[in-house]
Amino acid sequence: MLTKIIDALNARKDISAWTVRHITEREAQVYAVPKEIESQRTVESENYRIDVLCNTKAPDGSPAVGTGDVTLLSGDDINGGIDRAALVASLVANPVHSIPGPSSNPEVSLVDDNLKRDSLTTMLGLMEDIRTTASKKKDVYLTAAECFGEIQYIHLINSRGIDAEQELTSIAMELVLQAKRNDTETESFVEKSRRRVSDVDAIAEIERQANYTLDLLDASPPRTWQGAVILRAETLASFMAGTPLAGSVLQNLSSAASKYSKISSWEIGRSVFKGDIKGDPLTIWANRCIPYGTTSSRFDHEGLSARRVELIKDNHLVAFHASQRYAEYLGVPATGAFGGVELPAGSTSASDLLAEPYVEIIHFSWFNPDPITGDFATEIRLGYLVDNGVRKPFKGGQLIGNFMDALADVRWSAETGFFGNYLGPHTARFNNLKVSGE
Amino acid sequence: MAELKLPATMSELRAGLGNIVDQGQMQAPYFSALLSSKQGIQIIVDNREERIVERQPTAGTVLSAFDGVTMYEQAVSGFSQREVEQAASNLVKGVSFQKYALREETEERGDFITPMQVDPLELSVREKLDRCREIHRRVKDRDPRIVNARIIYIETNEYSAFRNRTTDLAQRVQRVVLYLIVVVAGPDGQVRYDLESKAGSAGWEILNFTDEELQQLVDNAIALLSAERIEPGEYQIISAPGVSGTICHESFGHGVETDMFLKQRAKAAYFIDKVVGSSLVNIFDDPSRAGGYGSYFFDDEGRRSTPTRIVENGIFRRGITDLYSATALGIPRSANGRRQDYSRKAYARMTNTYFGPGDSTLDEMIAQVDHGIYLDKWSSGMEDPQGWGIQVTCRFGHEIKNGKITNRVFAPIGISGYVPDVLQSITAVSKEVEMDGGSCGKGHKETVPVSSGGPHLLLKARLG
Repeated sequence: MLTKIIDALNARKDISAWTVRHITEREAQVYAVPKEIESQRTVESENYRIDVLCNTKAPDGSPAVGTGDVTLLSGDDINGGIDRAALVASLVANPVHSIPGPSSNPEVSLVDDNLKRDSLTTMLGLMEDIRTTASKKKDVYLTAAECFGEIQYIHLINSRGIDAEQELTSIAMELVLQAKRNDTETESFVEKSRRRVSDVDAIAEIERQANYTLDLLDASPPRTWQGAVILRAETLASFMAGTPLAGSVLQNLSSAASKYSKISSWEIGRSVFKGDIKGDPLTIWANRCIPYGTTSSRFDHEGLSARRVELIKDNHLVAFHASQRYAEYLGVPATGAFGGVELPAGSTSASDLLAEPYVEIIHFSWFNPDPITGDFATEIRLGYLVDNGVRKPFKGGQLIGNFMDALADVRWSAETGFFGNYLGPHTARFNNLKVSGE
Repeated sequence: MAELKLPATMSELRAGLGNIVDQGQMQAPYFSALLSSKQGIQIIVDNREERIVERQPTAGTVLSAFDGVTMYEQAVSGFSQREVEQAASNLVKGVSFQKYALREETEERGDFITPMQVDPLELSVREKLDRCREIHRRVKDRDPRIVNARIIYIETNEYSAFRNRTTDLAQRVQRVVLYLIVVVAGPDGQVRYDLESKAGSAGWEILNFTDEELQQLVDNAIALLSAERIEPGEYQIISAPGVSGTICHESFGHGVETDMFLKQRAKAAYFIDKVVGSSLVNIFDDPSRAGGYGSYFFDDEGRRSTPTRIVENGIFRRGITDLYSATALGIPRSANGRRQDYSRKAYARMTNTYFGPGDSTLDEMIAQVDHGIYLDKWSSGMEDPQGWGIQVTCRFGHEIKNGKITNRVFAPIGISGYVPDVLQSITAVSKEVEMDGGSCGKGHKETVPVSSGGPHLLLKARLG
């Protein structure tokens, strides 16, 4: 069918450029409730996603372009689908842009071989590991778990000569641990995505989360706190790189699309901060080449090769991340999809960052800062006030602040780690954040 | 009601589903087939560009075999009879089903279509684009501080057909939503924005904006340029209907999805027939609500839509169910078994969830507040069914002083608290119910269209 689609696109005089992606996916899903495997599912899908570019005219008669897209399933009417995409493209008149040309795609590690070989068996194995490990925990029990494993194959061809293929695997794990003492019940909800089962590290994760779940039994609402706040590991990763439902502030403000639409006021060569910078200087890469990174790829949906793009160096914006279209609109290099967030190691050991007193936050309800203003007010599910050698758990209250203001006053650890879509310091000490408590 | 026309391949497969289900039923205690197709378009018009993109379509078949303990499923893309028959055969092959006596179900047959005055499928793409351009023209020049005004139109055309031994149903559900976003810049370069939306299971007839609504949107965005952060603490608040709905959704919506009962994740399980709020509190979930953005005629497990009264005069009565959790818990089903699409499993999910009306007026409620906050607009929420905590973030709120709303604006504002405390603190409920459409995830995935809403509520909660 791919050949037929390409032949049909090449035969169209009204289409100036096109891209086709043939995408096949196989997924295994296993769900557990406390005593049973609730459900096990296998899913297969295959489709062809077509993007077309047509030359149009702006109202003043100047050259313009329009884009259209369509997804075809096996057996669908190819010409009918292309007609729909071309019709849509003909209706709009945007400034002229093109599509990417061929370039060399880097080798990026993206596949878990076991998952690729047998996704259902691999997911059942992961689920078994989770249930067995949890069953050995004293006073903590597993009440729900979900394991998804997916293999995706993408073949991308475009009219400028790109012909590229890539294979990717991904694993998503969710689990719920609970503990009970008298009338008090506590819960830790964990979700983790990686490309390899070994990176999920389920057994170690359950060990960590079991301790947190027990600590929650002793947690009380916090007092209001203004001062040092420590974030580490997965919590720091979600703060910096965002969560699946809440995009990242960094990604939004450093995007050429946001700049073009005047949502971002950042300027290349200028500081990304408005006020004084009291912490370590900020340097950030948007990196699509992180081995087994959950947002890594050899090429993106347009066919742009993976790159490691220096966005911010010593607090100053160096580049916008840009699709082909917005790169041409702003006259900047086309970097493609964002990928993961990478930061350099800091200069302070993590242990030195833990000078007391401080608050450490382990679980947010959902860290979802406003993607444009960076303001946040987010509920804390588990945190600790650490003072005089005592680590006192708390739950409730909100972390209040602004994302960019927080980054202007932070110190990064020398120790680094990989957390799916984040590669960088393992620990960060934000020197002046507020926890709204009682 | 207009005649239902399913997509051709779906219609052909539907005709043969009876045999596939009968064959599956010979092996498994319960067997069903769901055909599901979701497609649509998104149109974006702003000051800099226009875009028309296809909503990522999904089309596939879910075959389910259930023995009262485990739900076995196979999902295949498309509606090829040969592939679906093969998948059905593979699904039951080699499985040792438990013995399970099915509950008696009444026969359900019928075809359904969302009632519409202006069916989006009868408008050309150009006509829809022109309607978006017209709204954009009306809003973009209302103030020199506007740096961008964006109109986003989304239409989703959902077709589904369900078959089991007693049920043969098909539906077309049409959902539309129109977002208006106004971005403004202040003299110091700071950027702020506000957004407004209209959404429903309906046609274009619901997507009209008055000049007053457009100007209010612009005024809100400009007011945010001088917004302050609120001093954290407990406040008397009046929640606008959208904020009321989000509180409802996050507290007694997610908290009463009975798959969470089964996973021992919902504190509500211990509160059936117990007081959970003030006697003014009534909460409903209703997939049959006319025009609701989360409405449908039957759920993804073939259950015909009916309303569920979750909280009655402050007393928690029952949760909302999917087939699996209702079976495992031995409770009556409600029509809330929903899938993101054919590739995902069904969970107990909300539809249109809302506080019932009271008998106060908004003016009466404002007059009762000496010092408090009118919470205008919500931006997000997250559930905590086990801890019964609430996290709702509001885009902004206005100060109320001496019974009057002032020009002082705070943004953003987080609401937190313990669900029963918050619901118990409700002392007045207004008469009118309004709904906001949006999408809802189970945790951070499994997105489905929902609406939530209610009247204005006067209550106390912690803001920060």
